[in-house]
Amino acid sequence: MKHLIPELEALKRRLPPHQDGVLVLPALRRIQEDRGFIADEDIDGLVEWLGIPRIQVEEVLSFYSMLRRAPVGAWHLQVCHNVSCSMHGAERLLAHLEERLGIACGETTADGRFTLSTVECLGACGGAPVVRVNEAYREALSVEAVDALLEELAGAAPPDTPGGWV
Amino acid sequence: MPGIVIDGQALEAADGQTVMEAARAHGITIPALCWHPALSVDGSCRVCMVEVEGRGLAIACNLPVREGLAVLTDSEAVRAQRKLTLQFLTLNHPVDCGICDKAGECLLQDYHYAYNATPSVSNEPKLHATKHYSLGERIVLDNERCILCSRCVRFTREVSGSHVLGIEQRGDTSLIRPAAGRSLDEDPYSDNVIDLCPVGALLSRRFLHQSRVWYLTATPSICPGCARGCTVDVWHRRPDWQLQAVATHRNHAIARVTPRENPAVNGPWICNKGRDLADLLERLRALQPMVAGVPATLEEAMAAAREAIAAARHPLALVSTWGSNEELEAFKEHLGPLFTCRVKADHQRGPGEPGDDGLLIRADKNPNTSRARALFGEAPADTPGDTDLVLVWGEGFDGSTLPAGATTILLGSFEAPENVTAAVFIPLSILTERAGHYTNFEGVVSGFAPCFPAPATVTHAEELFPRLVPEGGRP
Amino acid sequence: MTPARVLMNFEVTATSHTLEAYRARGGYQALEKALRTLKPEDVTQMIMESGLQGRGGAAFPAGRKWQGIDPYDGQPHYLVANADEGEPGTFKDRWVLEYSPHTLLESMAIAAYSLGARHNFIYIRGEYDLPYRRLAAAVEEAYGAGLLGENILGSGFATDIFVFRGAGAYVCGEASSLLGSIEGSRAYPRNRPPRMTVSGLFGRPTVVNNVETLSTIAWIVDHGAAAFRAIGTPTSPGTRLLSVSGHVRRPGVYEVELGYAWGRFLHEDCGGIPGDRPLKAVIPGGISSQVLTGKDAKVLTADEMEGLTLDHDVLRKAGSSLGSGGMIVIAEGTCMVRLLQIMLRFYHHESCGQCTPCREGTGWMHRIIDRIVAGDGRPEDLERLYTIARANDGTTICGLGDAAGYATVAMLDNFGDEFAYFVEHKRSRHQGNIECPAS
Repeated sequence: MKHLIPELEALKRRLPPHQDGVLVLPALRRIQEDRGFIADEDIDGLVEWLGIPRIQVEEVLSFYSMLRRAPVGAWHLQVCHNVSCSMHGAERLLAHLEERLGIACGETTADGRFTLSTVECLGACGGAPVVRVNEAYREALSVEAVDALLEELAGAAPPDTPGGWV
Repeated sequence: MPGIVIDGQALEAADGQTVMEAARAHGITIPALCWHPALSVDGSCRVCMVEVEGRGLAIACNLPVREGLAVLTDSEAVRAQRKLTLQFLTLNHPVDCGICDKAGECLLQDYHYAYNATPSVSNEPKLHATKHYSLGERIVLDNERCILCSRCVRFTREVSGSHVLGIEQRGDTSLIRPAAGRSLDEDPYSDNVIDLCPVGALLSRRFLHQSRVWYLTATPSICPGCARGCTVDVWHRRPDWQLQAVATHRNHAIARVTPRENPAVNGPWICNKGRDLADLLERLRALQPMVAGVPATLEEAMAAAREAIAAARHPLALVSTWGSNEELEAFKEHLGPLFTCRVKADHQRGPGEPGDDGLLIRADKNPNTSRARALFGEAPADTPGDTDLVLVWGEGFDGSTLPAGATTILLGSFEAPENVTAAVFIPLSILTERAGHYTNFEGVVSGFAPCFPAPATVTHAEELFPRLVPEGGRP
Repeated sequence: MTPARVLMNFEVTATSHTLEAYRARGGYQALEKALRTLKPEDVTQMIMESGLQGRGGAAFPAGRKWQGIDPYDGQPHYLVANADEGEPGTFKDRWVLEYSPHTLLESMAIAAYSLGARHNFIYIRGEYDLPYRRLAAAVEEAYGAGLLGENILGSGFATDIFVFRGAGAYVCGEASSLLGSIEGSRAYPRNRPPRMTVSGLFGRPTVVNNVETLSTIAWIVDHGAAAFRAIGTPTSPGTRLLSVSGHVRRPGVYEVELGYAWGRFLHEDCGGIPGDRPLKAVIPGGISSQVLTGKDAKVLTADEMEGLTLDHDVLRKAGSSLGSGGMIVIAEGTCMVRLLQIMLRFYHHESCGQCTPCREGTGWMHRIIDRIVAGDGRPEDLERLYTIARANDGTTICGLGDAAGYATVAMLDNFGDEFAYFVEHKRSRHQGNIECPAS
């Protein structure tokens, strides 16, 4: 993460002075954007840069559902299965994706292209059911639309970091 | 000084107190698991729920006193909620008291009997978590027994400052964990978390499955490990529960050491050295009086010592910093006039051992330097060249500094090569075999009591000193 | 639809979220007015008089919260916009962030002026991507135009806004937990006392307001408290953004005047239920607000519908709340046992694990309902669910445990027979259906 320090340092200009703990979560997010996950050496770098106890970083890391310690597939499909999405077929959508990808929820395809998981409410209930594809929301998906999405992703260039920005 | 009412009893609270503190100050116990007087308020266990009259339930540990506040600690609503809270706490707890070291002194066990006392109403399988998770050489963690009160975590942040422990994950899969690559062995105060743990989640490896606590009794003592002189409880087999056949040595062994809370000296804590008193005190004992390396009776050894003292022209005494106030005073009175007296550091700081750390640990690894120096002065304990007799009391004497032709009288408790080469060796009792007082580096005097009878062949220093004075004194 | 518009008062286009478009429709006049003509305490007074209530869920009077802070006490104060919109069924703040981010920024600058806050945060939920990018771009625009930062509009007033992204934790929507998240520790909710206006972020007095609440400030300063009071009802002034989802023809975000007849809202504005199925139930304000049955909500006839209005007091009296404004419409034929199962899975997943009743209770309830749905229910299960739910009522550090309990109790109260049926027959009365066919 060391190469990210200058840009993270720059964040301090709009922050109150001497409150560097504020940078823990933004830094972890930025590291994950950069690498695709957070590695041990990233934690070491963060601890050294901010001068905070390592346990603090590990507590934060394990608390949030978006932060991960291991890479995901190039395309991370997160199917919202909360109330409104389930009322619009999210459970069927998930079963269909499992069948199409040949993996169970929580797994990654052998070729490393897709990781499939569920997620709780994404705040896009008006467009239920929603699948978060890496960073972007795909809304109002039918089974057919999901097939088209898989088609589209199969032909698309994978993002620079797995699960990351396109 | 707000006046508040607890269970109908009017009492004066102090400004800034919580209901929990005010209640305790007046001898009213409100049950609590996460709350601890020496740690910050966590408010997570919800066991200390009380009823604020006219307002409903609130946790006592975070409820500030104010004039006219009236709370009930045992109303129907409080009892009902407490029962439910206990059901929650035991929901995924293994309730394996039968094989748990904490049984008998476990708050969860006590509260369960006091406030729930019914079998589980759950039909769901219990969640499982790691058992016997290593936190280093000293402590193991049972995450299934853990109730996530966070006392241990707060201790490492607020008291010892090691920041080793934290809570990882969230919800009912939360786990107490050390930071990656770190262990509680780095924290010289780590064993306090064992006492702090209100359940049997943090366990001492040293004490693991060694004894049910109800077979033990605690004797007040003092840790001699440094000049702080922390007051401790030395736990050992109760006299009425002595082992009769197997492992009878345990009847006279230290089972464990815990802090004896003392605001003037150590507060509620001690360091790990204090936990390991057995390592200091249960070394191979010297039990046999000797004259020139030949076994003798105590009477023969004392006679030989008196003779040597009477004959010496330039005798030097190296006084023990492990001696009690009473022993030091007895030495001063009876032998002081006969010797040039110097204070000797019985123990030195070992490799890797912490020095003054600003919390409890002191660089001086002897408990009574303070009193010894007050009686015998500050002069360095070196040996003048014309010395012809050295009386060494205790450990820490370097035999190589002995001038040629000089002889030694050793008064000690442990096996050492010098015992055999000394002109006279007389075995002494140890800390756990006698009563006395120590004066710590800040001048605070604390007392210790005997845990075990002294072996028949050893003598107490205080009784020995007057008997070493030669008839008619030294010429 | 009601004509009075406070937030959705412009036509959304591809550029309507930009500074240029915002200024063209009068944006940042309120900030200028506040900085030039009002003292900090005047602004707070104005918000007090407007009767503005919090739009995040608890409907606490915003002005009263602000009065908890003395802008002149010489210590740092912080203002935090809660954009951690995570309450299932709720996506209305996202509308502001995506389509009118400058409304939030202008309002925050005014609020910061009133509260004496030199540094401010917008805590936006981690999954929001487009809303974040729109907001972050708007912040840069505002700095570039001298509307944030040093010497704003030449007034000498300075304030900074930092956009802080969450990372996936519903509990951070709880204000004190959000502060812990910003500070870089575990996002555990904090016990009160102290109130956050006494000791909040970094131990300093802090105001945390919901995005919609804050975004209303610019309008109130621009038009005056009386104009705001003229909208809505005497006890619930103003408008509310409602996000509507579930079994409804036109889901989306709507701005309604408080007091609006909700039957009309459902059937006319939102287009009613697909296939014109009868209404079974409504969750009016996010799943943490209590479900209302079609019968309670008086939606059987158009006349009866008029009886219930979208108003904080009315819904409170009906046993629920407008909550977070996340309305979920549930058609007849939906299995409520399955819906509660989803809700309880959610609360279990999101419980932070700090305090006992919620940590253990949410998981316990989840496992019980899973067993019921698996066809292994026991007669005592429903009573057990009630007991666990009630044991979380008012006994936890934050509202998550309460919410899980409220959701459960409301479902059991209203649809107890359906739950009993499932337990007795080991199957759903509605074949486990939770979808609503369009015809």
